[in-house]
Amino acid sequence: MQPFALNYARPVAELAVATPYVYDSGMQLNVLVDGRIAACDHALLREVGTTTSTAGSKTHFDD
Amino acid sequence: MTVLILTCEEDVTADMVVVHLNGSGVPVVRLDPADLTGGVSLSGEFVHGRFRGHLSVGGRLVSINGLRSVWVRRPGTPAGRAARPSAWLTEEASQALYGMLRGCDARWMNHPDMARQARHKPWQLRLAQRCGLPVPATVITTFPRAAREFAERFPDLVVKPVSGAHPQDPPRAVPTSRVAPDTDFSAVAFGPTLLQRRIAKRADIRLTVVGKRLLAARKATAPDADPAEVDVRFAAPGAPWEPVEVPPRTADAVRAYMRRAELAYGAFDFAEDADGTWWFLECNQSGQFGFVEVETGQPIARAIAEWLARPVPVSPPEVSEATGTLR
Repeated sequence: MQPFALNYARPVAELAVATPYVYDSGMQLNVLVDGRIAACDHALLREVGTTTSTAGSKTHFDD
Repeated sequence: MTVLILTCEEDVTADMVVVHLNGSGVPVVRLDPADLTGGVSLSGEFVHGRFRGHLSVGGRLVSINGLRSVWVRRPGTPAGRAARPSAWLTEEASQALYGMLRGCDARWMNHPDMARQARHKPWQLRLAQRCGLPVPATVITTFPRAAREFAERFPDLVVKPVSGAHPQDPPRAVPTSRVAPDTDFSAVAFGPTLLQRRIAKRADIRLTVVGKRLLAARKATAPDADPAEVDVRFAAPGAPWEPVEVPPRTADAVRAYMRRAELAYGAFDFAEDADGTWWFLECNQSGQFGFVEVETGQPIARAIAEWLARPVPVSPPEVSEATGTLR
């Protein structure tokens, strides 16, 4: 009784690394432990993949 | 005049835009509707024919009439993190917040009504056809026989979710997947199924539209790529995203799509075939853009910030309820 499309479902790939930044409500930005703004570190963003189009995440309905 | 950003705290992609707004001195208030009744508060009154409303978060207070734009990025479910969340409270919080925001003159990226409409993939496919974009042959059906007959006409098929949503119990992803020619389609009867002719692609295209600006990126398909991997989100990293020019006819059609959809932002996915034709796959009205900017250096975040920072349009004068006079 499983819908056809679910025959092609696969487990969601979780991010392997925890994001190395936290939200600073005063700055309204995510910052690294050394105080730098995470969004300005493109090498970091590429590494952690949090700006990437993904599938299966609750928070990424629109990829 | 302030830019209001509705998104979750961990949305580092939104940060890329906030940085530009800060740099240009445009006031920003960022909040997650999920924090309503906790870290986020609201109040609005309708008295003497006028409306005055305010939002508060993290010690910031902003007048709703003082908003120049609202960016609906990745907002959580209203009151989703309240001390005692419930479906009723969510509806109350949603109506209060979005109801008051809808009444102001701010520009939306994207308006909730337009966003809701634009999420429907069948509607996207039809609008793309009407705007002159090439759309791969597609069927959406619950008839196994219709699926079998479609597979006979178009033997090289993919299947993908109609909604773009993914099952959460348990969490699974449903990538665009190839369908074998001898597949048993009887399970089509248990859920609407979207089958589409597979485009033998030589590249994926992500075209990000911000207002009237078009920023396209191309990711070449490796010659030795696994033909079973059709969903770029699940494929091996391969070639990088690179900036690419938008063919003039495609640009005209995309602008027509945006105009008719009444969207200020859209992220289009195309498959480029061996002839160089861009086949429309979908338009994500809140699609990710950070990964494209990080790889290509295209100024998407800046373009969004500039759109959000534009002055609010002048609205016609209000008529006073009490006196009938123009204000």
